[in-house]
Parts: sequence; structure tokens; C-alpha cells
Amino acid sequence: MDCREFQQKHFAFVDDTLPGIDLVGMQMHLIDCEKCAKQDSSVRRSLMLFRNLPPIEVSADFSLRLSQRLELIKAEDATAAQFGRSRKFAAAVALTSVVMLGYIGISLRQVDFPQDIVFPPVVASLPESAASPMTSPGTAMVASVPAGLPMWTAALFAEQAPVHFASIELTTAAR
Amino acid sequence: MASIARKQVVQLQGATVRDRLHAMDDSGVVTAFLGGEERAFSELVERYQTRLLNFVYRTIGDREKAEDLVQEVFIRVYRHLHRFDRSKKFSTWVYTIASNLAKNELRNRSRNPLVLFQAIQKNWQDDDRPLQFEDTTSRPDDMYRKRHLREIVEESVAKLPEHHRSVFVLRELEGKSYEEIAEITDCNLGTVKSRLNRARNSFAEIVAPYME
Repeated sequence: MDCREFQQKHFAFVDDTLPGIDLVGMQMHLIDCEKCAKQDSSVRRSLMLFRNLPPIEVSADFSLRLSQRLELIKAEDATAAQFGRSRKFAAAVALTSVVMLGYIGISLRQVDFPQDIVFPPVVASLPESAASPMTSPGTAMVASVPAGLPMWTAALFAEQAPVHFASIELTTAAR
Repeated sequence: MASIARKQVVQLQGATVRDRLHAMDDSGVVTAFLGGEERAFSELVERYQTRLLNFVYRTIGDREKAEDLVQEVFIRVYRHLHRFDRSKKFSTWVYTIASNLAKNELRNRSRNPLVLFQAIQKNWQDDDRPLQFEDTTSRPDDMYRKRHLREIVEESVAKLPEHHRSVFVLRELEGKSYEEIAEITDCNLGTVKSRLNRARNSFAEIVAPYME
């Protein structure tokens, strides 16, 4: 075993966790190498010193302070739980309100509102024309010409003439 | 008369519960606490307060702050014990919390040199130091030598790098296994062994001049 290997395995040697072969190798090296033996001794002595340090104790009021802090925490937790409960309640109320509003909204949509009043279609009928004084157009025409009436009245008559004529024809047929 | 008898019964029950808790291992005490037995927490505090205080104190080197941190450890344990994985060791978990808090404290100090200075200055004042080391039957010169030696050892530990120091303290003072140290410090096993080896050699080097 060389010094390098000794150094690498030294922590296990100190803790006594080395397998048998390595342990023998380390012990042999200690006999051969003065430098490593000195270092081994130095480490062991310093560790003994450290391990024998007297333990420090907690101060007298440690438990009291801890229990006071724990009480404070318990109180905080209780408040938080209460707040959590009231928050849950508020959330439940809000949720219920939203559901109710939604329900009302949907219900209002389904109600049949009076829509525009629908009247039956308007059927316009031609008013019945007044009985034409000119039952016989031939006569009227004949009468107007010699009387010297202006021509526009004649034109009016001419415009209405087909209607009158049709009416006359219908009247004639009915008879 | 009946109330006195009832009180006696309650006290007897209390004593029995305490005895029972005292006889339990950590896992049993944790189970009892989670089952609603508040006294189980006191049992855990009693078991770990001194060990944790020593560990934290040797790591950060400030007794007052170490006590505060140990209180914080127990507060965290109280709050989060329901989240603790009971398939693992309680002691590893509680030391992990303490180690993390100590690490944070050292990190905060390095960010705030004033805090570091105040902590060091506090340690210089002998009145603030714990005096349990002294044996009153010893002669004054023995007491001085012991105190001086203790100071040297503590100062030497404080000179180790933080990541070496925590491994060193966990192994040498708390007697933790390499595996436990790896879990507590969140390192792999090889790193733990290497750090421990270096820490031991460095510590021996620092202390050696005072031992000759």
C-alpha cells in the first residue's frame, strides 16, 4: 500500500469499517511510513478532543418559549381554519347566487312574451264602381259632340271606357 | 372527594402515558402524536433538544442563534409532521431540517457581514459562553486550561468550510452513519466520505499546534 491509497482509505480506517485485508495493509503501512503514522496519530488525537467536548444544554426557558410559540401557532391555525370556514361559506353563498341568477335567466328566456300581433292579410278589393250614367256609350258620345264640349272630358271617358264597357258587358250577360 | 379522586386518576393516567411514550421508539411517538396525543410532541422535544442544539451550535458557532434555530426546527416538526414519510427515520428528517436551517443561517451571514461580525463579537464575550464545561472541583489553572482548550477546538471547527463542518459534526458528534449523513446533507455517499476525510485532516492540522 502506498501513501496515496492510505490517505484515501484513512477515514474508513479511523471508523474501523475497512475489510480485513485493507485493515492489515493500512497497519503495515503505518509501520513502514513515519509520515502517515504521524498523520494518523494527529487525526485520532484531534478527534478525541472534539468528541470529548462537553455538550451544551438548552437554556432554562427553552421549553417555556417553545410552548408559547406553539400556543401562538395553534391560535393562528384555529383562526385560519375559522377564516377558511367563513370563506367556504361565502363561496357557497356566491355559488348559490350565481346558480340562482343563471336559473332565473334561463327561465326568463323560456317565457312566451306577447309578440307582434299578427293580423290576417289585407285583401284589397276594388270598390264597386258607381253606376255609370252612361249606360249606352254610343248615346253619350253622340250627345257630347254636337254640344261642343271640350275634348278632355271625352278623353276621360275614353280612359274609363274599357271598364265601363266590361261592366256593361257583365251587366248585360247577367241579365 | 370525588373530584380529588378524579384528579388523582387523571394524574396517574398522565404519568402512565408519559412512561409509555418514554418507552416507545421515535416511530411510535410520532404515531402517537399523529393520533392526537399532544404529549408525544413534548417527548420528541425532550429527546432531541440537546442533540439538535449541539449540532446547530457546532455548525453555526452562535449559541443564542442556535437555540432559536432549534426552536424553529420543532415548530416545523409540529406543523409538518403529518407530511413526514414514516418509512424513514425520524431522526434523519429532524436533522435534515436542522441542517437546512443552519445552512440558511450561514448563507444569510455571508450576505450580511454585519450579522457575522456581531455573531463573532458575541462569541468573544466570555460571559455569553456556556459554563457547563467547568468542573468546580478542579483547580483554577485546570479550569483555565480546559476552557482554553475548548475555545481552541470550537474555533478550529469554525475554521472548517461549512460543507465539511456539517459532515464532520454529524459524524463525530452525533455518530451518524455515512448513509444518514448523505441523506441529511443531500449529497451522495462518495462526497460524504471525501468531505469527512478532508474535514478530519484539516481539523487535525488546525488543532495540532495547540496540542504539542
